[in-house]
Amino acid sequence: MSRMMVQAAVTMNQLQKQLDSVGHNIANSDTAGYKSRETEFSSLLFQQINNLTHEENATGRLTPDGLRVGAGARVSSTNNNLSAGAMKTTDRALDVALTNKSHMFQVQVDRGAGAETLYTRDGSFYLQRTPDENTLVLATSDGHPVLGQNGPITITGDIDDITIQDNGAVYVRRGEASEMVGQLNVVEVIRPHVLTGEGNNFFRISDEDALGYNLNEIVQQVNPDEQILKSGVLEQSNVDLSKEMTDMITAQRSYQFNARTITMGEQMLGLINQLR
Amino acid sequence: MLRGFYTAASGMISQQRQQEALANNIANANTPGYKADQTTLRAFPEMLLQQVGALNHVPTENGLNIRQTNEVGPLNTGVYAQEMVPNHVQGDMRETQIPTDVALMNGNMPDENGSLFFTVQNGAGDIRYTRNGNFTVDQEGFLVTNDGYYVLDSNGNQINTDGVEFNVTQNGVVQTVAGDFPLGISYVENTDELVKEGTDLFAGEGVPVPGDVTFEVAQGFLERSNVDAGRTMTEMMEAYRVFEMNQRVLRAYDESMEKAVTEIGRIG
Repeated sequence: MSRMMVQAAVTMNQLQKQLDSVGHNIANSDTAGYKSRETEFSSLLFQQINNLTHEENATGRLTPDGLRVGAGARVSSTNNNLSAGAMKTTDRALDVALTNKSHMFQVQVDRGAGAETLYTRDGSFYLQRTPDENTLVLATSDGHPVLGQNGPITITGDIDDITIQDNGAVYVRRGEASEMVGQLNVVEVIRPHVLTGEGNNFFRISDEDALGYNLNEIVQQVNPDEQILKSGVLEQSNVDLSKEMTDMITAQRSYQFNARTITMGEQMLGLINQLR
Repeated sequence: MLRGFYTAASGMISQQRQQEALANNIANANTPGYKADQTTLRAFPEMLLQQVGALNHVPTENGLNIRQTNEVGPLNTGVYAQEMVPNHVQGDMRETQIPTDVALMNGNMPDENGSLFFTVQNGAGDIRYTRNGNFTVDQEGFLVTNDGYYVLDSNGNQINTDGVEFNVTQNGVVQTVAGDFPLGISYVENTDELVKEGTDLFAGEGVPVPGDVTFEVAQGFLERSNVDAGRTMTEMMEAYRVFEMNQRVLRAYDESMEKAVTEIGRIG
C-alpha cells in the first residue's frame, strides 16, 4: 500500500532538486556569461508483479504477463545550455564579449599548490594592482588574472587609456604613444561536455588524463588574427526568465500533485484502519 | 460464509493497484518520453450458483420427496487489476536548445498500435527501446542515454561523435566529424507487446522502419510525457472513492456478522 506514498515521496525529493536548479538559474539571470542548466527527469525502475498465473487470467490481455508498477521519477541530467546569450552594449573599454558560442577566455586561478587554468565566458575585466605598486594586471571581477598569449597581461607604469581590439589585442595609450601590451588567449572548446561548472562563472576541465584526451583535444587555441570579440559589449546570461518561471510553476504543481498522492495514500490507510 | 466479504476486500485491493499506477503516472508527468499506464480491472471468473435442497413432493403412497436443484444464476466474487497497458500516444514537443536532446515524431503509422523508438543497448548488451531522447555524450565520445546505455545506429553499432558537436538531420542522420550515422530507429508493430523495464526503457521486438512508416527527428527538442495531470488526478479521486465504497461495504458485512455473533442465539 505504501508504494504510492513512496513513489510520490521519492519524486517530491527530486522535484525539489529541479526547483534548486531553477532557482539557481533565476538568481543568475543577470550574471554576464552565465550558462543555464536544464534539469530533465527519467522514470525509475518498474517492478514486475506476477498477479495471477492461472491461464484464465490471460484471456483479454493485451500485454505480456504480470503487472508492471513503477517507482516514481528521478532527476537524470542537468545539462549546461551552452547557447549564446544576448549582447548588451556597456561602452566600457574592458567589457568584451565573445562572438562565437564555443569560444572561452582563460583565467589563471591560484590554488595555493599551483595555478590552475579555468575557462569563462564572462568578459567583464578590470585592472588590478599587483603587490608591485607600479604594475597593473588584467583580471576578472574576482581578481583572477586573465591569460594572454604570454601569460597574464601586465601593464607597467601609468596609462591614459586602454582598448581591446576585435582580435583580442590589448593596447594602452600613454600620451600620444600607443603600445600593445598583450593579446587575450581565447580558446575554442571542441568537446564542451567535458566542461564542468566550477562556480564564479568558471568552467573547468575535470582531469583530462582520466578522460583519455590531450588538453588540445578539448580546447584549441583560436587563430590570433581572427575577429573573435566585441569590445564595450557584455554577453548576458542565456537564462530565459519566462521559461524558468514556467518550469518553476510546473515543478511546483507537480510537487503539489505528488503531495496529494501522499494525502490520498494516507487517507486510504486511514480507511483500512477504520475497518475495525 | 458471506461471499461479499471477500468481494469487497478484492475491490479495495484492486483500487490500491490502480492508485499505484496513477501515482506513478503523476510522478512521471515531467519525464521526457514517458508513456502513461492504464490499469484494466477484470472480474473474477464467474461461477454458476445452484440452489439445492428444495423438496419436491411426489404424490405417491409413501409421500416420496425428491431433492431438486434450481439454477440461481451466475456470480463472480470479486475483481482484480488484470494489467497495466502503457498508452503509446505521441507526447508534445518541447524545445530545450541542447544539441544532445533528440525528439522523435511519429508520422504515418500503418498499424493502429504501431510506434517508433530509439534503439539503445543496455548494460547487459541487450537491445532496448526508448522514446526518451534526453541523450548525452560519454567520456569516450559515444552517444548514450543518461544511464550510460549506448544509442545505436541503424546497423546496430554504437555512435561515436568523438565528443565534438554534431548535427542531427530531420530524417535522423547524426552528422559527426567521423561521418554520418543514421540513428537506429525501430518500428514496433504492436506496442502492447512491449514490456516496461523502467528508466524509460522498453523490452520487446522491433524491426527496421518499414517503407510506409514516416517520422521526423528534431534536434534540441524533447518529447514530453503524455501524462495528463488533470485526468490522472480525476481518476485518482475516483479510485479513492471506489476504494472507500468497498470499505463501507466491508464494514456493513462486518456489522451484520457482528449481529450474527452477538445476537443470534442469545438467551433472555
